[in-house]
Amino acid sequence: MLKILIVDDSLIIRKKITTIVEKLGHEVVGQAKTGREAIEIYEGAKPDLVTMDITMPDMDGITAVKHIIEMDKNAKIIMVTSHGQEDMVIDSIKAGAVGYILKPITDEKLAEIIGEVFLKYACNEDEDDLELSDDDL
Amino acid sequence: MILDSLILQSKLFFTEDMGIEIDDITQNEKSVDLNLKSHTAMIGVGGELNMMVVISFDTPMLDKIIEVFMEGEDVAPEEKEEITESVTGEVLNTIIGLAIPTFPKRGKGVTITPPISISDASSIKKNKNSKILTANIKTRYGELSISAVIANKVLP
Repeated sequence: MLKILIVDDSLIIRKKITTIVEKLGHEVVGQAKTGREAIEIYEGAKPDLVTMDITMPDMDGITAVKHIIEMDKNAKIIMVTSHGQEDMVIDSIKAGAVGYILKPITDEKLAEIIGEVFLKYACNEDEDDLELSDDDL
Repeated sequence: MILDSLILQSKLFFTEDMGIEIDDITQNEKSVDLNLKSHTAMIGVGGELNMMVVISFDTPMLDKIIEVFMEGEDVAPEEKEEITESVTGEVLNTIIGLAIPTFPKRGKGVTITPPISISDASSIKKNKNSKILTANIKTRYGELSISAVIANKVLP
C-alpha cells in the first residue's frame, strides 16, 4: 500500500483521484490545493507518491516539483495534466517528475502510471543492490 | 477549424468518458451577444492563438456530469457549490486540453489560463471587433453550449 499526496486546485479532481487511489488499495495521506500547500504537506506526510496538477494558483505544479525535489531527491511525482502539450510535461520531467497522466483521469490510466513508476524504481533499486553486492565481493 | 476541434473533443468526451449520448449539434456564428445558461466557465487561450472559450450548461446536464464524476457518491450540501464550479471548469479544461493538439501547428506555443467560473450572468456582450462561434449540444439531460470568442482583427 502506497501513501499518496494529491495536489490539485480542483475539488472534483481531488475527489476523483482519492476514489481511484483508495479503490486501488492505497492511502491518501494528504490533499493540497496549491503548490505551496503541497510542499508543506509533503514535509510532514512523507508520501511515497505525489499526483501534481500543473496549472494552479499561488504556485504552479512545476515550481512545486522543483521545491519538493530539493527537499527529497527521491520524491516520486506524477504530473496530472490536461494540456496535451509536450512543453509543460517536459519542463516537469526536467524538474524531477517521474511521469505524467493526461486528463480525463481513469482507474486504468492511474493504475498503469503508478505501476510503471514503481516497477521502474524497483528495478533501479535491484540494480543498486547488485552493485553493492559486487563491491562486497 | 477551432470550433470543429472543440466540437469533436466535446463529442468524444461526453460520449466516451461521460457515457452521455449526444442527440443533436447545431453551430452558428453569433453576430449578437452570447446568451449563457445556468452554469458557465471560461478559459483564456493565449500564445499562438488568442481567444476565450466559454462553456455553459443547463442545470440537469451539469447534474448528470457531476453524478458521473462522483461515481455515485453523494455530494455533501456544503460542497455542492464548489463541486459545481469545479466540474464546470474541469470539463472545459479537459475538452480544451484534448483539442489543443488538433489546433493549427498541433497547438505548439498555445497556452491556457486556469478556468474561471461565471455565476449570475446571463450573457457575454460581443465587441464590434470580435465574433462568437458557438455550438449547441443537445442531450437527453439538457443542453450545453461551447463557444469561441475570437478577434475579427488583431488589436494594437
